[in-house]
Amino acid sequence: MTTHLGFDFTPPDVEGKVSGEIKYAEDYKRDGMVFARILTSPLPAGRVANIDASAALRMDGVVGVFTADDLPPSPPPGNPTLASEYVTYVGQPILVVAAVTEEIAESAIDNIRVDFERRDFVVDPMESLTPGGKNAYPEGNVLIRTREEGPGGTPIIGAEIRDIKWPQSAIDAMRNGRNPVDGEFTTEWAFGDIDAGFAESVAVIEEPFVTMGYPHHCLEARTSMAYWENGKCYFHGSSQSQSANNNGLARMMNIDPGDLVFINEATGGGFGSKIGPYPIMAVAGNFSRMLNRPVQLRITREQEFYIGSARSGMQGWIKIGVKEDGKVAAVDLVIVNDGGSTGGGSGNSSAGHVTITFQPENMRYRGISVYTNTTPRGAQRGPGENEMAAVLAPITDKAAAVVNMDRVRFRRANVIDSDGVRSQSQSGVTSAFVREALDQGMRLFNWNERINQPKRTGNGNKVRGRGVGIGYHGAGSRGYDGLVRIGTDGRLYIHSGVGNLGTYSYAGTCRAAAEVLQVPWDRCEILRGRTDNHLPHSSGQGGSNTMFTHTRTNWVAAEDAVNKLKEIAAADLGGSPNDYEIDGERVFSSSDSSQGLTYAQAAQRAIEMGGRYSGMEYPDDINPITQRAVQGIQGTGLIGVSKDNIPGQGQPPGNVVGFTEIELDLDTGKYEILDYAAVADCGTVIHPTNFMNSMRGGAVWGVGMANLERHVYDPQNGLPANTGLYQSKPPTYLDVPTSTRAAAVNIPDPQNPAGCRGIGEPTQGASVAAIASALSDALDGHLFNTAPTTTDMIVNHLAGNSYSTQSLKTNTF
Amino acid sequence: MPSHDVMPNMDLYQPVQVEDALALADRLADRGWLVGGGQDTYGWLKDRAKSVEAMIDLSGIESLRGIRETADGLEIGALTTLTEVANSPVIQSSYSVLSSAAGKVASPQIRNIGTLGGNVSQDVRCWYYRRGLDCYRAGGNLCYADTPEGMNREHSLFNVSRCVAANPSDTAPALVALDATMVIQSVGGERTVAAEDFFVGPANDIQNTTTIRPGEILTSVRIPSTWANATFYFEKVADRNVWDFPLVNVAAAFKMSGDSIEDSRIVCGAVECKPHRVTNVENAIRGQAKSASTADSVKELATEGARALAHNGYKIPLMQNLVKRAISG
Amino acid sequence: MNPQLTRRRFIKGVIFSGAAVTTGTGYYLANAQTGQSAAERLVTLNVNGRSRPVDVLPSETLAYTLRYKLDLTGTKIGCNRGECGACTVLLDGVPNYSCSVLTQNVKDRAVTSVEGVRSANGTLHAVQQAFVAENAPQCGFCTAGQVMSAVALLNSNPRPTRDEALQAMSGNLCRCGAYEHYLNGVMRASGQIV
Repeated sequence: MTTHLGFDFTPPDVEGKVSGEIKYAEDYKRDGMVFARILTSPLPAGRVANIDASAALRMDGVVGVFTADDLPPSPPPGNPTLASEYVTYVGQPILVVAAVTEEIAESAIDNIRVDFERRDFVVDPMESLTPGGKNAYPEGNVLIRTREEGPGGTPIIGAEIRDIKWPQSAIDAMRNGRNPVDGEFTTEWAFGDIDAGFAESVAVIEEPFVTMGYPHHCLEARTSMAYWENGKCYFHGSSQSQSANNNGLARMMNIDPGDLVFINEATGGGFGSKIGPYPIMAVAGNFSRMLNRPVQLRITREQEFYIGSARSGMQGWIKIGVKEDGKVAAVDLVIVNDGGSTGGGSGNSSAGHVTITFQPENMRYRGISVYTNTTPRGAQRGPGENEMAAVLAPITDKAAAVVNMDRVRFRRANVIDSDGVRSQSQSGVTSAFVREALDQGMRLFNWNERINQPKRTGNGNKVRGRGVGIGYHGAGSRGYDGLVRIGTDGRLYIHSGVGNLGTYSYAGTCRAAAEVLQVPWDRCEILRGRTDNHLPHSSGQGGSNTMFTHTRTNWVAAEDAVNKLKEIAAADLGGSPNDYEIDGERVFSSSDSSQGLTYAQAAQRAIEMGGRYSGMEYPDDINPITQRAVQGIQGTGLIGVSKDNIPGQGQPPGNVVGFTEIELDLDTGKYEILDYAAVADCGTVIHPTNFMNSMRGGAVWGVGMANLERHVYDPQNGLPANTGLYQSKPPTYLDVPTSTRAAAVNIPDPQNPAGCRGIGEPTQGASVAAIASALSDALDGHLFNTAPTTTDMIVNHLAGNSYSTQSLKTNTF
Repeated sequence: MPSHDVMPNMDLYQPVQVEDALALADRLADRGWLVGGGQDTYGWLKDRAKSVEAMIDLSGIESLRGIRETADGLEIGALTTLTEVANSPVIQSSYSVLSSAAGKVASPQIRNIGTLGGNVSQDVRCWYYRRGLDCYRAGGNLCYADTPEGMNREHSLFNVSRCVAANPSDTAPALVALDATMVIQSVGGERTVAAEDFFVGPANDIQNTTTIRPGEILTSVRIPSTWANATFYFEKVADRNVWDFPLVNVAAAFKMSGDSIEDSRIVCGAVECKPHRVTNVENAIRGQAKSASTADSVKELATEGARALAHNGYKIPLMQNLVKRAISG
Repeated sequence: MNPQLTRRRFIKGVIFSGAAVTTGTGYYLANAQTGQSAAERLVTLNVNGRSRPVDVLPSETLAYTLRYKLDLTGTKIGCNRGECGACTVLLDGVPNYSCSVLTQNVKDRAVTSVEGVRSANGTLHAVQQAFVAENAPQCGFCTAGQVMSAVALLNSNPRPTRDEALQAMSGNLCRCGAYEHYLNGVMRASGQIV
């Protein structure tokens, strides 16, 4: 009988958040701490020719300057901590100044003279691919992933920059919504026979589309504070992940991971931008070592825009063939990604989303990711999938219309199920119940009735639209470690190396250990947030991974503890371990429950017995990070530790379907979201209230992508227009629905002992897709083929002003 | 770009009487910066995009605060907060176009400290100018926004002259619609100027958005009773419904005679460097029924003379539609 | 007009910074730690019901003073531009962005930060309890500001409608999008959700 899974609880850090007592990196002070500020590039491209910091260094209170010369060289295509030979975007960090106060450090920035040499720059990928187009790097414009055979057959993955130009005919084809047949791509894959698929189609739809990149703008601008003590670096950071950072962060300071104490109790948002150690983290630790003082590096909101990462934009073309029965027979997809200054795009994941929603038997994908002199790009909530969902939803509606099918039923007929396959690999999933989610959502939203209600309700010059959308993201991983300890006080200590970006999955996953050991929650304690709490090897807290991945690790660690409890009982009380069971924080004989040990007694016995019972010995297959963690607590109780070797295969998918009704004002181009209802297919819901908050947060993100958020760069000078929050336009209270409904299919995933999968990312995809679908519905099937579709675009459409995706520009209007 | 967010150190004067403030303003002239609520000020100073030697903090001057009924209408102290304007019973009952406009500014917290005087005196929101670039308005000799590739979605449709920045105020169009008078003091005395003439475009003065000169302080706004209890309309269209400046807004006052419009003042914001009054529409609807058909028949007049830049053409239909809605109610 | 105010000295305060101009683009503090004007910067603030003497620069913001000088780090700086609300505190009970208020301007006012809303016996404020019950915070960085806006609302309007609560909370950005849960928390704290 489950007592923990599927029941609400309060994660231990919530009270600290409402009271203001929980500490983020910038809330820590240390005696002698100095304040560092970054000097950022005014140029979109060039190199640093000379730095003269002498005037700044003469200022009272200035203690030092830190430049790229103080770090190992970082040749392109890296994302350097501090730029020197390759300055590739406005706002790129060049150097850091430390002073005794922040205002002195800021004034010192103005007293440093940096001489730059300019280079050509470009802010639009298609511009860069055009014959004669500028390149973001002197070496070229495209990131190529390389793969060589290394020693022992281990592949060495690398990257290089190449210069690729398309013939003008291919550029013209893309800009006019046609197949760029002679364009060059860096990723191409296909399955089936698309020509045959199109041949058997009764309708073929071809559409261009464009989605904009936009910044994560986590509310906490990423701060780090570091100091050195007794040969160890104490590093306060702002990350999504905890243990997954150890090795990379230690490498940044060229120290042994065992000499790093990474402290990160709370993180002010991540959304994919803080999954692993990010480049600027190299400053605080190294600068602190140089100055022999604690260094705090707090960055400005504008700098968070610059270095805080952004979603990759895409310019694309899709061709969909539909058979008479509504099955999608073939898909041909082209995506040109805007990789910003780091070059990477998410086109492959976008193509993956298409395979999930359509399950085409025949498909071709061609993609290329182009560098631009704009901010670095990285993972952002459902990277690739969610922006694809945004533009695919109205196109899907059009496909449903041509075969005269209801829009939900069309999706139902095509979407993946548990036997389905996904992406290039056409590999399977652990389970998928999107059809059940669609059915449940139709009932929740009352779809059949609402789509037949009039669009005009007599409310001024307003018209209603109803839409449906599907969000998907791969949501889980395998093979990480779990670590629990039963103390001699009888309490269960669950060591979690999972980060805390605000999803509370660190806590939800710990419930699995409490469940296996049947320990009441108030007798459990989660150890986390700092390396010296002895934390096991965990996945990065990104990709909606944590729930699936770490319910498994905590499950296996707790099972290891259960086995050891039974073994200890058998050793002390006779019989075999199989003769014992657990309940009420005791291990006892199945035939005579009076014969047993309390957990506290068993922990004491574990210490006395030593060996693997107290962690003096541990499995060979656990990660060195976990080995260090076990060493840190060995001999202090009964240790349960295990690698997740639960058998199984396939990707655990996170799926959400969204339904919405909007009311569009035809005079102003503004719309109100009257209702939003979403249903998740994420296996068993572990923490209901938190599940609701995750669903709703993702829905808010969907509003931003649908209507508001986008990069704006001036192509004349490479300047970003919207560095601040009021220009970047994350949705506010008054832009989003605040009485929404969310539910879950709640069918357990067979490959997770707790039944769960992750859900964080597709929540946004379902929302943005449903809104885009509803907007198209309100406008009688008009396709904007953009994300976002901003107020001015809607006004222009309604006024008959020319606007189309044919310009296919990202980063600019 | 260099990026800052800590206030630079400077002197601060905190007078409690207007005479002392005027003396300080006179003495410091353009070396001083008048601060009401500070909501436009601090960004400029934190960015180091503008710098001065001292701030003159007016918020301690009680005589500049408050809403007083006068023989001929209302006098609103320039330091009256936008929340006070929005919640004022007398403004809500007789001049609601102003309370509606004030209630749509930015966010509750900004309205709690931001002042009416500050809202009408705030600088333009051209992002190039705000970045500290050397444009015409900043004393340079080019405009970054008025080019084929400039990112000028938020910029002006009317009466541009080298600079194409738009006035972002929500209350300014309302004050022009109410035919308000701005009261300006200096050590030399007091002058008054009609709200319509208080705001200036770049053809007349490219570095200032109002006629306030160094040494002068906007002390109050007088609302004549001429338009008291008229039929009012205010609407703001912005990307987001909190914080954002208008893409276009409209403030209108109609004096009715039975079902027909005896007189009106209709003013749009964010389409020019100052509130843009559509007198041709006002003339065209005089004596007409206040109806949807009247509105439809005149809405295109609203944008006569508009010149769209590369990316703000949507403001033409949007402005027409808002003027239409103001008339059709 | 309040006669108490008119009887004040003509100039309540002149606070000189001791600043020296270095270039056309910025200023720096030549003698941050010393200087004869330092005494003039000593002010006593009323923060969370306590008198807190503190040395405050003329142009220093309240958020800066709270976080850096009074060690009240519950108030967060999300944007430092009045664009997010993470730094919201109450001035005489009214929500303000402490990043966009000069500390020298609140000398006569009661400042309440998130550290000041618990009851004396340590019990969380009803708003804080309700936010816990709704599991409202996600990353938590905006939460202190959300708490302050909600506390101010319920002090002046103990049983707001949902729309009144929505409007009152609207100056607080939540990048995680937990709006509905905060809003439910406000309604719960007002006794309208149980």
